[in-house]
Amino acid sequence: MSTLEIKDLYASVETKEGRKQILKGVNLTVNSGETHAIMGPNGSGKSTLAYTLAGHPKYEVDSGQVLLDGVDILQMTPDERAKAGIFLAMQYPVEVPGVSMTNFLRTAVTEVSGKAPAIRTWTKELTTAMKELKMDPKFAGRSVNEGFSGGEKKRAEVLQLEMLKPKFAILDETDSGLDVDALRVVSEGVNRAKAKNDFGILMVTHYTRILKYIKPDVVHVFAQGHFVKSGGPELADELEETGYDMYLPEGADSESALA
Amino acid sequence: MADQKEISIPVADPNDPYAVPAAMPSSADNAPRSFAVDDFAVPTRKQEDWRFTPIERMSEFFDVFEPSGLTQVSISMIDGSPVDTSSVDIRTVKIGDDLSGTVSKPNDRVSAVEWNSENSATIIEIKRSLDHPLLIKVLGTDERLDALHLVIAADSQVHADVVVEHYGDAKLAEGIEITTGDDAHISTTFIQEWDRGSKHVGNHRIHVGKDSSIRHSVVTLGGDVVRIRMDQDFGGEHGEINMLGIYFVDPGEHIEHRTMVVHNAPECRSRVVYKGALNGKGAHSTWVGNALIEPTAPGTDSYELNRNLVLTPGAIADSEPNLEIENGNIVGAGHASSVGRFDDEELFYLQSRGIPEKEARKLVVRGFFGELVEEIGIEEIATHLMQAIDRRLARGESEEMKNVLEEK
Repeated sequence: MSTLEIKDLYASVETKEGRKQILKGVNLTVNSGETHAIMGPNGSGKSTLAYTLAGHPKYEVDSGQVLLDGVDILQMTPDERAKAGIFLAMQYPVEVPGVSMTNFLRTAVTEVSGKAPAIRTWTKELTTAMKELKMDPKFAGRSVNEGFSGGEKKRAEVLQLEMLKPKFAILDETDSGLDVDALRVVSEGVNRAKAKNDFGILMVTHYTRILKYIKPDVVHVFAQGHFVKSGGPELADELEETGYDMYLPEGADSESALA
Repeated sequence: MADQKEISIPVADPNDPYAVPAAMPSSADNAPRSFAVDDFAVPTRKQEDWRFTPIERMSEFFDVFEPSGLTQVSISMIDGSPVDTSSVDIRTVKIGDDLSGTVSKPNDRVSAVEWNSENSATIIEIKRSLDHPLLIKVLGTDERLDALHLVIAADSQVHADVVVEHYGDAKLAEGIEITTGDDAHISTTFIQEWDRGSKHVGNHRIHVGKDSSIRHSVVTLGGDVVRIRMDQDFGGEHGEINMLGIYFVDPGEHIEHRTMVVHNAPECRSRVVYKGALNGKGAHSTWVGNALIEPTAPGTDSYELNRNLVLTPGAIADSEPNLEIENGNIVGAGHASSVGRFDDEELFYLQSRGIPEKEARKLVVRGFFGELVEEIGIEEIATHLMQAIDRRLARGESEEMKNVLEEK
């Protein structure tokens, strides 16, 4: 049983117009086995929160703490955070030319688990996971994310989630750009990995459709750099109806992606 | 005396004036070719050929010297087994005798100095096709100046692979002549894994026979100052030259490769692909790729490419493709050159999967070179090269560790 506690987190990013604070007092506690959906209008800082937790150098923490089982991960490099048990499934996974998926996954698993996986069980585990995600076995030999379609990239992210077995998975718009079938396959992959490893999930999304497949325990509304409302799964349906306008200040442009 | 090469320029057809350009002398390849040192001025940074080179760090190679003779050369098959002398004739001759000096002539002062300093040449004449690569190990044992002259000659219709490995501690001026008969298909691979502080000037003179192909690979992974110049031409139609280069440069090192491809015969094909990674402040690489398509070479297909990956700030990569086309009737003549930084997003992605920064850089460099090595298509050579690259990447690690320990 693990706990991830975000305490009064403030973070900024350097922009052309100067330094801009995006996260303004984020507070959240997630336990193993819990699924938290984070919803909110465009530009509210949801992705910034995801990247800040993973340690992207672009985002600078101004104050606050992020405790994983009582240890502040904000002092750690991104690879140390991964080893501690944080996994970020990215909205736009990066292409790494020349590095094969197999080589990359094996290196990552070796680093995260602290020892090289035994060849036989490793190959079996990888083949099974790829099959379940309906990934072409040829992907293993291709360069990381290079020439992958949007859907293939998301499957590859979930494959990594299954292989790396984190304590907490942050899914940053994993549902974006997926057709109905791919959404189901990807969601099933997340559920399978969760059933096996019982990790906590922070799921950033614009749409309620993924919530049909990955059932949230808690739904949060994120606006203006912090959480403004939390509730049960029914809150998602409510947002579907009303949009985010009520959470934005008077006169603010709502770019709500909720159709 | 210096020879100015004479080329016969075809007369333009009045009905198709663009098939042959106006008669004019080549500017890309107007340097003299000569065995006499004094036909070449002492290099300065003001000369086009030397403007990227830190000449003060290699001035010992500018005048004829007495070679130490301490460089050790051993020749075997790649697995260490002895060479079948009925397939390969290996002999040492007085320089200028036998096949030595038959492939073009020195093209700069250091090459002429090598020729005039060295007393003997090793001739490796491949008479029959080889099933496995031949391995020539060149071991530097001493920091005194030495010279070495090798001739690799493949008879007509021979298929063979040759690997030349350089390692140890050296100050070496090296001349290599590579030549084939007709319809021969060979690969020659040169690996430089010199110890820190070593210096190496090399001159490869390459002649591709009619209907023949040569895959020429250069992999430079170490040395304080390394400058290797390749000069190549064709002996007839349908020749193919594939030049491939890999270099890895550490702080304070200068690694320079200059390729000169001369299309002087019809319907020949050339590819030059060099890739380098630079690591750390003061690492300096130079690639100058010259391609000359002479009026006598219709149907030429030529392409050259150089990519540089700068891993950490403060490294300098000079990259200069030069292309001179004197014939309008060609298939293609392209070039590309780039210097790029190791992408921060790539680094973050790998790190976010638990891979530490240093390991991530290694993974990316290995991939960057691996793509090129795969293209060689000869498994024994590819494996050999990847082993050398892995050794080099691992060495970086232990060096760093050493520095940490020394600082304590």
